[in-house]
Amino acid sequence: MDLATLAWKIEGMFPNALCQWVPVALSVDVPAATVSPGWLPGLELALWRSAAGHIAASSNRCPHRGMRLSHGFVRGENLSCIYHGWSFGPDGGCVRIPAHPDMTPPATINSQNKAVLEAGGIVWVCDSNPKSPPPDFHGLVPVRSLTIEASLAALEAAARAVADGKGLLAATIDGVRIHMALAPLAGPQLLAHVLVAADSTCEDRIAASRAAEAFRRMAEAMSPESAAA
Amino acid sequence: MKLYDYVLSPSCYKIRLLAALVGVELTLRPVDFHPGGEHRGPELLALNPAGAIPILEDDDVLLTESSAMLVYIASRAAPEWLGDGSAREGARIQQWLSFSHRLTATLGSARLHEMLLRPGDIRGLQSAGKQALRELEAALTEQRLSDVEFLVCDHPTIADIACFPYVALAPDGGISLEPYPSIRLWQRAIRALQHFIEMPGIHRLHELRPAPVRPEQGA
Ligand SMILES: N[C@H](CCC(=O)N[C@@H](CS)C(=O)NCC(=O)O)C(=O)O
Ligand code: FES
Repeated sequence: MDLATLAWKIEGMFPNALCQWVPVALSVDVPAATVSPGWLPGLELALWRSAAGHIAASSNRCPHRGMRLSHGFVRGENLSCIYHGWSFGPDGGCVRIPAHPDMTPPATINSQNKAVLEAGGIVWVCDSNPKSPPPDFHGLVPVRSLTIEASLAALEAAARAVADGKGLLAATIDGVRIHMALAPLAGPQLLAHVLVAADSTCEDRIAASRAAEAFRRMAEAMSPESAAA
Repeated sequence: MKLYDYVLSPSCYKIRLLAALVGVELTLRPVDFHPGGEHRGPELLALNPAGAIPILEDDDVLLTESSAMLVYIASRAAPEWLGDGSAREGARIQQWLSFSHRLTATLGSARLHEMLLRPGDIRGLQSAGKQALRELEAALTEQRLSDVEFLVCDHPTIADIACFPYVALAPDGGISLEPYPSIRLWQRAIRALQHFIEMPGIHRLHELRPAPVRPEQGA
């Protein structure tokens, strides 16, 4: 195990040793004019994309009364809270309070947007000032994201491999080779973004999705935490 | 057609939803399911001895299974909702109609337990419900990888309507939908259909409504 990987595993907080970018979702899973939940270690996010295609990652707590913004909706370039309709722009600033339509919302009301970028079909979010770009998964393309209720140790045991310094774990299941970009979730579970070689056909991608299901069954069976569930 | 109906029942909503989507008019006969338990009274037991709703009556046709009602309404009014008539699509629709009863037995029972305090092994129901959701997510993901938005083909069928309500209401039973991106997008596609109707807890896409021009109450 190289030093960078060791640092990541001891730190336990970051999905890769290179930087603090977390792979939170696949770009295709947050299409234009939608919002979805996402997670950083210890922090819930509302990931959303404006009608024009701009991606943003807000804190999932509405600054008004704490409603989850991921239950809200995107209209045009703004994210609206489902509860009382406060709306937030791509920079997080509150742009509209329906109960006070003539008021310009004070600049202090903000949905706490995080640094976000898209690379290689993955949405990356960083809670601090990122010092370097996210890792480059050269030659791989994402297929799907799935939650695995198991520890990293169980995943590595199931893969008979260790995650590398980019946070990538590779496994071969019944002859199908998949790579997984891992991100931590609350509790003993991980989010795995399944990747395959960029020249894979549609059939290859479906096979990879099924291999990921089989891999999850193995990893969860090996994880003491999920045995009870 | 006369539907014995309860507004909070996801099984009754399946029938109301398909009827609305395909433009079939239903005569609704409200049933006092809770707290009255009218579905277990003599009048309704005479129609369905199993003591469950929905019940659909149309002339001499009497149906007590929601999947059969979906087939009946689609056959009468909108055969495209039954697939293309091929063995493959017909069987895949049947596959999901049968699967939908697992959703009723798991997600639906967890919901009754949480909302109406029905006895039951809630952990077991939630865990079986999660397993069913994972299967649905895997299937919808494969469809998306083939650029198909719905469960069986590139337009909605009764398979989607049979599975949608209990999935959408899973959080009422303490079962999270957050881990399932493909289920999230599939639900959006259904909620965006023309003539979609709501039930308590399941809403049309808000963003399809015009932005309100007058202040809303409650902020
Ligand atoms: N016959 C099945 C069952 C439908 C079902 O589970 N209905 C519930 C209401 S949503 C019911 O009547 N349950 C009886 C009870 O809980 O007392 C169907 O049509 O899909
Ligand atoms: S809680 Fe979000 S607008 Fe009130």
